[in-house]
Amino acid sequence: MRIFKKTKQKTTNKQETTTTQRRGASQWAVGWRRFKRNKAGLAGLFIVLFYIFIALTSQWLAPYPPRSYLPLYQGEAGQPPSWKHPFGTSKAGLDVFSEVLHGARGDLYVGVGATAVSVLIGLVIGAIAGYLRGGAGDFILMITQVFYTIPLLPLILLFARVFMILVAQGFGLTLILLLLGFFGWSTISFVVRGEILRIRELEFVKASQALGASRWRIIFHHIVPNTLTPVIITASLLIAGNILTEVVISFLGFGDANTSTWGITIQEGITYMRTEWWTPVFPGLATLFAVLGFNLLGDGLSDALNPRLRD
Amino acid sequence: MEPLLDVKGLKTYFFTEAGIVKAVDGVDFKVEKDETVGLVGESGSGKTVTSLSIMRIVPQPGRILAGSIMFEGEDLLAKSEDEMRKIRGAKIAMTFQDPTTSLNPLYTIGSQLAEVIREHNKDLSKKQVTEQVIKLLEMVRISEPELRIKAYPHELSGGMKQRIAIARALACGPSLLFADEPTTNLDVTVQAQVLSLLKDLRQKEKMSLVMITHDMGIVAEVTQRVQVLYAGMVAEVADTRSLFKKPSHPYTEALLQAVPRIDQRKDLKVIPGNIPNLIDPPSGCRFHPRCPYAQEICTKKVPPLEVTDNGHLVACHFWRNLSLAGA
Amino acid sequence: MANLTIYVIRRLLFMIPVFLGVSILTFIISNAAGDPIALIRQGLRSVSPEVLEALKAYYHVNEPLHIRYLYWLWDLLHFNLGRSLSGSPVINIITPLILPTLMLQIPSIILAVAIGVPIGIYSALHQYSKKDVSITTIALFGYSMPTFWLGLMMIIVFSLYLGWFPSGGAAGITKIWWGSEFADRIAHLIMPLSVLTYVQFATFVRLMRGNMLQILREDYILAARSCGLKERTVIYKHALRNAITPIVTILGLGFGSSLAGAPGLETAFNWPGLGYKFVQATFSLDIPLIVGITVIITIMLMIANIITDLFYGLIDPRVRLG
Repeated sequence: MRIFKKTKQKTTNKQETTTTQRRGASQWAVGWRRFKRNKAGLAGLFIVLFYIFIALTSQWLAPYPPRSYLPLYQGEAGQPPSWKHPFGTSKAGLDVFSEVLHGARGDLYVGVGATAVSVLIGLVIGAIAGYLRGGAGDFILMITQVFYTIPLLPLILLFARVFMILVAQGFGLTLILLLLGFFGWSTISFVVRGEILRIRELEFVKASQALGASRWRIIFHHIVPNTLTPVIITASLLIAGNILTEVVISFLGFGDANTSTWGITIQEGITYMRTEWWTPVFPGLATLFAVLGFNLLGDGLSDALNPRLRD
Repeated sequence: MEPLLDVKGLKTYFFTEAGIVKAVDGVDFKVEKDETVGLVGESGSGKTVTSLSIMRIVPQPGRILAGSIMFEGEDLLAKSEDEMRKIRGAKIAMTFQDPTTSLNPLYTIGSQLAEVIREHNKDLSKKQVTEQVIKLLEMVRISEPELRIKAYPHELSGGMKQRIAIARALACGPSLLFADEPTTNLDVTVQAQVLSLLKDLRQKEKMSLVMITHDMGIVAEVTQRVQVLYAGMVAEVADTRSLFKKPSHPYTEALLQAVPRIDQRKDLKVIPGNIPNLIDPPSGCRFHPRCPYAQEICTKKVPPLEVTDNGHLVACHFWRNLSLAGA
Repeated sequence: MANLTIYVIRRLLFMIPVFLGVSILTFIISNAAGDPIALIRQGLRSVSPEVLEALKAYYHVNEPLHIRYLYWLWDLLHFNLGRSLSGSPVINIITPLILPTLMLQIPSIILAVAIGVPIGIYSALHQYSKKDVSITTIALFGYSMPTFWLGLMMIIVFSLYLGWFPSGGAAGITKIWWGSEFADRIAHLIMPLSVLTYVQFATFVRLMRGNMLQILREDYILAARSCGLKERTVIYKHALRNAITPIVTILGLGFGSSLAGAPGLETAFNWPGLGYKFVQATFSLDIPLIVGITVIITIMLMIANIITDLFYGLIDPRVRLG
C-alpha cells in the first residue's frame, strides 16, 4: 500500500543543510526577536546609538571647537560645572563638556576603526588557518597564539611613540587605530578558525566539495557568511576593549596631542585634580559608559544569536 | 495485579522565553512488573520528558503541572524531595542517550559508580563498595574490571561508556529502568551487544525495562508492549506483535513504513513534514497536518483514546474505517 | 602521566615562538630609524658620548641587519640587556622594579579568584534573583572600567578629600600610619591593590557564573540527579569541579593582561614598578631600557603561562596530545 509520496531518504542531513544556509533572513529575524527581549542588550544598543549620534554631530553640539583654549581668554579657566560650562573648565582653559563630546568622535573612530582592521585581518588569517591542514595551518595558528599571548599594551605604546616621532605627526589618531588593529586580530582569527572547523564538517560543504567547487569558492560563499554571527559578537566586545586601550594610550601621553580624546582630557586634569575634580571625572565617565554599552551589546548579541547557547 | 508504574494525565510544560512548550500533554503510561515496554516516537515527541517527569528531575524551566504517578502503590508526585531522592537510583534508574556526555569527565568511572552505591548504602565499608563496583563491571561485561575502575571516561570507547552508564543505573538493583536511546550514538556492531546485554540483565535482575527509542527495529527485538507518543500525546498502545501486524494509528503505520527491510524490495517511506511546534500545537488531532487520511473533524476535535477490537488503545477518529499496513 | 609530560613539553616549546615574536617586534621598532642609535638621537635626552659608544658596540651597528639581530638575541638570552641612556646597566635598573610590580599583581589575582569564584557560583545558583542582578551589574562595571581612571577617582576621594590614604608611591618619607614602616607600605598598597582586584574580580565572577550555568545544563548533572545523589553533591562535586577547571586556564591569561596593563595603573599611582618605568623610558626613547622591561614582562608572562598549564594538566585528566 502506497500512501506517502516517494521522498528521497535524506531527511536529517537535509535539515541540517537548510538551517545552516538559511541563516540569511529567518535566522536574523529570530535573533532580533530574541534580542528585543534582552533588556541589558537593548540598553547596550541604545547607549551605543547615543554615542554614535554624539560622535557624528559633536561639531555642531559642542559649544567650543576641539582642543580650544578659548575659555582661558574669556577668563573662565578652572571653573567648576556651571550652565555655561556643564562639565567645568580645565586649569589650562579647555571646556570639558566640549572635549567630552569631541572625544566621543575620536575614541569611537579609533575603537570602531581598529576593530574593522582587526576583523579584516582576523577573517583572512582565521579562514586560512582553519582551512589549511598540516604544517601551514599549524604555523598560522602558532602566529595567532603568539599575538594572543604577548603583552600588547607595552608594544603598542612603544610603536606609537616611535612612529609618532618618525612619521606620523599630524595623523596621530589614525596611527593608534592602525596599531590597535594590527595587534588585536587574534581573537577574531580564533573565532573564525573555530567556526570553520565546525562548519566544514557539515554536509553541505562536503557536498559542494564533492561537486568540485573550488576551495576559495567554498571559503567565501559558504563558510564566511556562516562565521559572521560570532565575528559580530566578538567585534562588539573588541570595540569596547579598543576604546579602553585608546584611553590608556592617550592618558599616558602617547596619543595625538592635537585631537580631542577622553584620555588626553583626563591627563590634562590630573595635575590639578585636588581642586578641579571635574576635569578627569567626566571624560572617565564617558569612557566607562561607552565601554559598558559595547559590552552589553556584545553580550546581548551573543545571547540572541549564538545558537549553541539556546535551550 | 496492580501495575508497577501507573501514570495518569501527566502534563509537563517548559516555560521558555519563546512561550510555553507543552512537551508532555496528558500522557497515560503503564508498566507491569517484569516486562519491557517500548516508548516510541520521533525526537521531540515527549519520550524523554515523560521519563524525566516520572523521576521528577525535569530540568529548568520545565514543571510538572498535572497528573498522578503511582509507583509500587505510592504517588511519587506527593513525595518530598528527600524521599524522592531515595527512590532515584535505588528503585527507578535511567540511562541517557549520549554516554559521552552522561559521565562526568573529571572523575574515574570507579569513583562514579562507588558514589552511587555509597549514597544508597551508607553502612558499607570502602572495601565492600569496591567489590560491589567490580561485580557491577563484570555484570555489564567489562573486561579487567580491577584496572578499569581507575580509567577516566575519555579513555573508554562509546560502547564501554554506555555499559558503564548501565552499570551505574543498576548499581542499587532498581525495579524499573528507563533506557533512553541506549544505542543511538553507538556503532552498529556495538549496538547489538548493548541490546542483548540489556535484555539479559532485565531477565536476570527481574526488573522492568522501558526502552525509549525511535527505532522500530529495536522495539521489535526487545519489547513486549509498545506505547507510541506523538507531540506530547499518546497515539497508540498495543502488544508489540499485534502493533507490528496491524497498527491502528496512521502515525504508527508511518513509523513502521520508515523501517528499512532486507527481505522486501520496496521504497522507504519517510514521514513528510516535521514534528509540530509544541508552543502552538495544531488544533484537534496533533498529527493531522502530516496525516494522509486527515478529514475535517481531525482539525477540530482531539480524538479520545479508545480500545479497538484487537485490544489496542488508539487516539484516532477513524481507527474503525482504516485498514493500515503493518511491517 | 606520559601524556601530561608531553603536554607540558609542548606548552614549554610554545614559549619559544612567543619569546621570538616579542624579540622580533621590539627589534624591528628599535631599528625603525635605521639603527637604535639613530632612533635614540631622535629623542629629547642628551646622552654622554661614552654611553653612546658602548651602545654602538652593544648593538653592533656596523653589521648588516640580520647579523645585528642574532648578536642582540644572543645577548638577550644571556640577560645582557645593555646600558640605559643614563649609563647604568639596564638589568640593575630593572631588578628593583620587579618586586613592586609583583606586589600588586600577585595578591590582586589571588584575591580576585578567592572572592570572584564563590560569588560567581552563588550568582549562577540564584540566576535572575535580585542578588544575582546586583552581582552581575557590579561585575559589568568592573570590566568596563578604565583601571587607571578608577585609581584616579579613588585618589581624589580617599587621599585628596578624606586624607585616609597616601595618594601615590609605594612608601612615604613621613610614615602616615603610626610611624610604622610596615603599616606605611600597607597604606600605600591598599588603593592600587583594591582597584586591580576589583577589575580582575569582575572577570572571574563573570566567567565562573557563565561556566556554572552552562555546566548545570550538562547531561552528567542530570545523570547524577537520576542516581539519587544529594543536590549538594551534584552541585559542589560534579558541577563545581567542571566549572572551575577552565578558570585555571584564564589565570595565566588574566595575569598576563593585567601585567600588560601595568603602565596605566602604576602611572596613576606613581607606583615605582616596571609599568611606571616603562612609560618614562618610552618618553625619553631609552631603547635599551624599554626593550629590557618588555623582555622581563614577557618572561614573567611566560612563567605564569607555564605554571597555569602545569596546574591545568594536573587537574584535568583529559589533557593530552592535541
